[in-house]
Amino acid sequence: MAAVAQAVASSNKPQASFGDVVIQANNLTKAFSETVVALENASFTVKKGSFVSLVGPSGCGKSTLLRLVAGLIPKTSGSLTVHGKEVTEPRGDTGMMFQRPILLEWRTSVENVLLPSELTGRVTNEDKRRAMGFLDLVGLKDFEFTFPRQLSGGMQQRVALARLLQTGADILLLDEPFGALDEFTRERLNLELLRIIAQFSSTTLFVTHNIAEAIFLADQVHVMTPRPGRLAKIIDVPFTRPREISLQVTPEFNELVAEVREVLGGDH
Amino acid sequence: MSLLSSADSSAALESDSQSQRAWILTKHLLLFFVLMTLWEVGSRAGWIDPLLFPAPWGIVKQIGLMYYVNGNVYYHFYKTFIEAMAGLGLGVFIGVGLATAAALSLRFREYIKPYIIVIEATPRIAVGPLFIAWLGFGLSSKVALAALVCFFGPFVNTLTGLLNVDDEAEEMFRSMRSTKWQTFWGLRVPNSATILMAGMKLGVSSAFGGALVAEFISANEGMGVLMSRYTYVLNMNGAFATLLSITFFAFLLFKVADVIDYYLVFWRSDKLMQAKSKKRKDAFFKSLAAA
Repeated sequence: MAAVAQAVASSNKPQASFGDVVIQANNLTKAFSETVVALENASFTVKKGSFVSLVGPSGCGKSTLLRLVAGLIPKTSGSLTVHGKEVTEPRGDTGMMFQRPILLEWRTSVENVLLPSELTGRVTNEDKRRAMGFLDLVGLKDFEFTFPRQLSGGMQQRVALARLLQTGADILLLDEPFGALDEFTRERLNLELLRIIAQFSSTTLFVTHNIAEAIFLADQVHVMTPRPGRLAKIIDVPFTRPREISLQVTPEFNELVAEVREVLGGDH
Repeated sequence: MSLLSSADSSAALESDSQSQRAWILTKHLLLFFVLMTLWEVGSRAGWIDPLLFPAPWGIVKQIGLMYYVNGNVYYHFYKTFIEAMAGLGLGVFIGVGLATAAALSLRFREYIKPYIIVIEATPRIAVGPLFIAWLGFGLSSKVALAALVCFFGPFVNTLTGLLNVDDEAEEMFRSMRSTKWQTFWGLRVPNSATILMAGMKLGVSSAFGGALVAEFISANEGMGVLMSRYTYVLNMNGAFATLLSITFFAFLLFKVADVIDYYLVFWRSDKLMQAKSKKRKDAFFKSLAAA
């Protein structure tokens, strides 16, 4: 409870300062056809080491935005730079994690984690040791040599997280990474995610449709609205870190939830 | 813990299903025996014309005659076997090759599509006389027909397997800057292992069909020749015995494909996964220690 009190007490302090701008979007637009505009004129910046949540209902373009940053799909117009360079293709300094773990069933956990190393060159012993370390970090010690089918959904997603860390990317793009898991597993994994991200001071873009989750995890929440997908509002989250689950019952937290709801039109 | 307990319960399930399977097998054998007896009795009583439908015991005696007394069947069997296997090999090679090219290139896929549709619509067995006119009465025309008849299963299944890849899995590979070939070998090929093997199984029986029909049309040796000779002189025991031999052999090959499939797609079996886990673990630490 002391931590909550502390979090509440410090909630009026200015946001922790972050480094340089690593992602910059100006009037970023993605249209799949003339009538289907997935994202329209999004402009924002993301600073090094900050955690940004993209929240909104389905069809608001949050996943599209993430895929644009990942270089998986080309933009229609506007500009989008990562580390000062226009994004044209997938890059080594961004890594993505999906709602499903997408593990290769014929590979053990550690072999799955080693996949990014394999794809970018020869696997060294150093890579192998790092992979073992990451599996330990995500709480899968003793499960390094089990196959995905022998793991629970939560454990599979932990392997996927270790694989993401193995890419060495300093910008993590997470597309509802724990959205398919039950509430309890999800909450626990969110806390572990924060712990791990703090350790690597990664920059994080986190897509979710859960408002509380978006606020709880982030330094900044980008609220998005659908048809066409628009970045409606950017809200700074003032709470200090590390954060505890009990933060979610404080009035300050709920004020932010209300603020997000208002932007989304109240029916969420 | 949860892993252990689930393994235990599945082991219990396995032993349970084993006794159940034994019972089911007994029932099947019983039914088979009853049917055979009825047939035998019907044949002896004159309800079924034994000239057209030989009695089971007669067929069994004929099998004994062909395999133990005369021994003439082996030579013919060998011929048909070579034709069918060479045809299967060729058909799988062409089918899998075309499917791989079609999976890798959208343009190639578009170009071969109409030809594939036409070939699919053609009654391929009917091409037999043409092959014999082109390639002669020997081995090559039989191999060619077997290949033509059996290439379709492997082709369609390989193509389906290679193309039906989870979009997100492919995105994941791309996000890790994987090349087209890396995605192909690392994701598409292992992902299609199951359906690929199903294609092989389809190929096995149709390859035998193709070789037999080619022999019916024109040949001096092979199981097809044996069958037409037996039916020609109304030795129905012989015809049935020949057909049964081929059926049994195709079934054996089917089973071989099943076993290969079982070990190849090991991640469907808890037992195999556990064994593999241990092996991969040892190899991993060995490679770490080696350097």
